[in-house]
Amino acid sequence: MTTLAYTPFIDPIALHEWWFLLVIPIAFFIACGYKAVRVPNMRKYWPQVISFTIQIVGGIALLGLAAYLIIGYAIPELAPMPGT
Amino acid sequence: MPPSDPHPKGLDLVAGILACLLPGAGQFYRGEPYRGVMAAVGVLGLFLGGMLVGGIDVIDSREDKIWFVGQAFVGPVAFGINYVHQTRFKALDPDTRLPRSGHPDEMRVSRDLDADGKTEPVWAPATDGKGPPNVKSVAKMNEIGTLAATLAGMLNFIIILDALLPTSRSKRGRPHPSTHRSGGPLGALLEKEARK
Repeated sequence: MTTLAYTPFIDPIALHEWWFLLVIPIAFFIACGYKAVRVPNMRKYWPQVISFTIQIVGGIALLGLAAYLIIGYAIPELAPMPGT
Repeated sequence: MPPSDPHPKGLDLVAGILACLLPGAGQFYRGEPYRGVMAAVGVLGLFLGGMLVGGIDVIDSREDKIWFVGQAFVGPVAFGINYVHQTRFKALDPDTRLPRSGHPDEMRVSRDLDADGKTEPVWAPATDGKGPPNVKSVAKMNEIGTLAATLAGMLNFIIILDALLPTSRSKRGRPHPSTHRSGGPLGALLEKEARK
């Protein structure tokens, strides 16, 4: 068998530079499945799915920002590396 | 219990078993087809999305055993894909005789290692234009794909519990009165909503 071409579902996709964007489809499918068993009224299903997707993506973005601020600014202030 | 009754009491074993076999099938059986379809879209979208990102390598009960415990909750789909991965994509290492994925410069061949007349798939140096049947995923693509497929299993666990156990939902979106007769402020609020 040859491996000359990319085969979907068999080989990994080449999204190494854009991996962080994959949080959006993951959050969307989690919201789809979770809200399918949680919303009492299915007429409100899609607004709930969109709202939950935005909450997940927004929450992860805020966590990422918080980690960046702590690692990039707070820790160097509290414990500066020798010689910097 | 008839399938059209959306308010079963106690355990609904048939719905639970169906939910274990196929994501969303339990809700479908209980007379909520739209819920079942959307639950299946969520679980299978995550699972197949994980495979699309990381390839078949993300479903591996040998090399990622703990992750596969979570993925197994997707049901027979996960076990089937793992079986295909182990039997059609892996081969024995010629030195250790343990199954593994192929390196880019190897190809899968059948050889009689023990001279007992039984051939087994073994990795051998690749000849021109040949290679392993799949590319092993590494780094973030492997991590994200494995995570997505495992989240699919965890999500399906919630969906299986929803099918197995009675809920307070009704078809019109109101809480079922039999399950909210008391219960403090939340119960009072739900009863008030139900009376509207």
